[in-house]
Amino acid sequence: MRLILVFLLVYLSICAQLSAQNKQLLYDFTDIPDALMVNPGMLTDFEWYVGLPIISGVSVQAGSNAITVHDLFAADGLDFNDKVMDRMIYKLDENDHLSSTNQITLFNGGFRGRNLNDFYSFGIYSETDGIGYYFKDYAILAIEGDSIQSPRSFNLNHLNTRAEMVNVFHFGINRKIDKKLTVGARAKIYSSVLNFTSTENKGHFITTEGERNLVANTLDADLEVKTSGLNNIVDAWENDRSQLPGIVARRMFFGGDLGFGADFGFTYHLNKKTVITGSILDLGFVYNSTDVKNYTLKGSATIEGIEAILPVAPSDADKDYWQVLVDDINEMVPYSTNNDSYITFRPTKLYGSLRYNFGKPIPSRRGYDCKDYVREGRGYDSYNNALGGQLYVVNRPKGPQAALTAFYLHRFGNAMAIKTTYTVDKFSYSNIGVGLNLQAGPVNLYLMADNLLAYNNLADSHYASFQFGLNIISWGKK
Amino acid sequence: MVNKTLLLFLIILLGFVSCVERPDFDQLDDLRVTPTIESSILYVESPEDLLNKSTDSIFYSQNFSFDGFSEDVFADRVLEGVISYELENTTSKELEIIIGFLDENGSLLDVEKFHMDPAPTIPLKRDVEYGGGSGKSLEIIKNTSSIGFNITNMGDHTSISNLPDPKIIFRSSGKFRMRIR
Repeated sequence: MRLILVFLLVYLSICAQLSAQNKQLLYDFTDIPDALMVNPGMLTDFEWYVGLPIISGVSVQAGSNAITVHDLFAADGLDFNDKVMDRMIYKLDENDHLSSTNQITLFNGGFRGRNLNDFYSFGIYSETDGIGYYFKDYAILAIEGDSIQSPRSFNLNHLNTRAEMVNVFHFGINRKIDKKLTVGARAKIYSSVLNFTSTENKGHFITTEGERNLVANTLDADLEVKTSGLNNIVDAWENDRSQLPGIVARRMFFGGDLGFGADFGFTYHLNKKTVITGSILDLGFVYNSTDVKNYTLKGSATIEGIEAILPVAPSDADKDYWQVLVDDINEMVPYSTNNDSYITFRPTKLYGSLRYNFGKPIPSRRGYDCKDYVREGRGYDSYNNALGGQLYVVNRPKGPQAALTAFYLHRFGNAMAIKTTYTVDKFSYSNIGVGLNLQAGPVNLYLMADNLLAYNNLADSHYASFQFGLNIISWGKK
Repeated sequence: MVNKTLLLFLIILLGFVSCVERPDFDQLDDLRVTPTIESSILYVESPEDLLNKSTDSIFYSQNFSFDGFSEDVFADRVLEGVISYELENTTSKELEIIIGFLDENGSLLDVEKFHMDPAPTIPLKRDVEYGGGSGKSLEIIKNTSSIGFNITNMGDHTSISNLPDPKIIFRSSGKFRMRIR
């Protein structure tokens, strides 16, 4: 119970806007092959690469906009109840949310095709994505209760949450169309482990003066929680936990719900030094049809207690008035379950950038030979400096969320590159991040972290993210 | 060049060094969640002509099952409360209304009596507190399984009030503070 309460409070306390999927540090970092995952149309000069399983392409992100763990749980001598009320219950609104996306690459790789303009990439990664908006009116109802002295309509659509865990199998093609334009596309098959969706709730609960009796409680509800893959996992958790790995593994590899999706991207040189890029990721859906259990509460009722209006209700010693009242409520606002299949759409993301390169040209490490130059012509060089801006938009249940990033990238030859970003979104104006890419021979290592200004006390941080990866890269024979 | 690169690398590494001021999660023990819920309990209404048709002095007697108070979800969490009554008599009769709180065995736990003069009279309002130090025992509420309700006609069986649509109306509601945590 205590653990659940801690979780709920931490959950509520970090109810957050969060640029959860925003990989602004990795985006268009063309020295890193994993950047293909955020723009399949980025510039590539690799001959082939392979990511080390599990430790290549790990990203973990979490954050908050309105409150931090420190705000509630700091040992500051203040009354804890006052902190909960002032800093959380009444301060947050229903558009604040906690969302998180974690990705672990199981394996990935890429290779250049016979046509040297084509680069293919493939792999499998596991993604957990969840969002929960702050259920403000539910929280206030739980804290304050209802009263006819200060009637308040509690909005039931404040329950708005979804979570999913999917395994993604992908194959992408990156093609250099000409000197100016590179495009890419990636096909994805989603094998869904579990899904939990409750995003289209409607209704209200209000307590007012009654028409006949002193108080009327009115519930008008259209609530639905859809789940897929959750029941077997919960059963195994409660009864035989040794079955859990098998259940999850089976659903990760095509034993669960399947879906399809695609990514698209491009890079276009406006001139020798100016580049625009764009990508759209996870245009796709999952058809949830296995181990589905949905819960609904739909209907409307106004209750003014037990009523006996004579002569319609004569004395009846055998009548169970309480049970009749309960049955009436159940009939007017029935709770039911069903196993109906449903479709969920993936959270689609959009990236765009404008980059200006300057400084010292850095020739590509790719092992071009004379025939390549004859066939392709000389491509544009990289430069040791790049400056620009990026846009990020993600589609969420309550509409799109955007973030704007300014970045500066500096390359120290071919051995090291650093990208610094300053990101602004609706909730954060001080998000500075740094990404470091190291290249030691064929070994590529990158580390990236966001919101560095808050690292002096992570518990007081509204947002934190971390990414790292380890790849082996070849540029072909020189 | 190498030294500069190394220095820059070290500075960046320092940037990744983070601290966490240790939170005090024990404060959670101090959290109090005690909402107040409010709802109607019982409504009874009878027209005067029905009173005149009955020859018994106890015009109406009914035992209303009411398990809401004794349900664990309520009984285990209620801290204090108030039951509010409002009676309206527009009949020409002097009436007595008795509310009895009964446990699951039918034993009487508590009684509230209301005496209403014939119309014209102002509505009778009464609040009865339970728990909270000055109120009646909260155990009465926690153990209530049904509510006995009697209307006794202390007047005649022939007169008619000159007020429009003469009735006896009984209204009641409860307002309780609960301990969720």
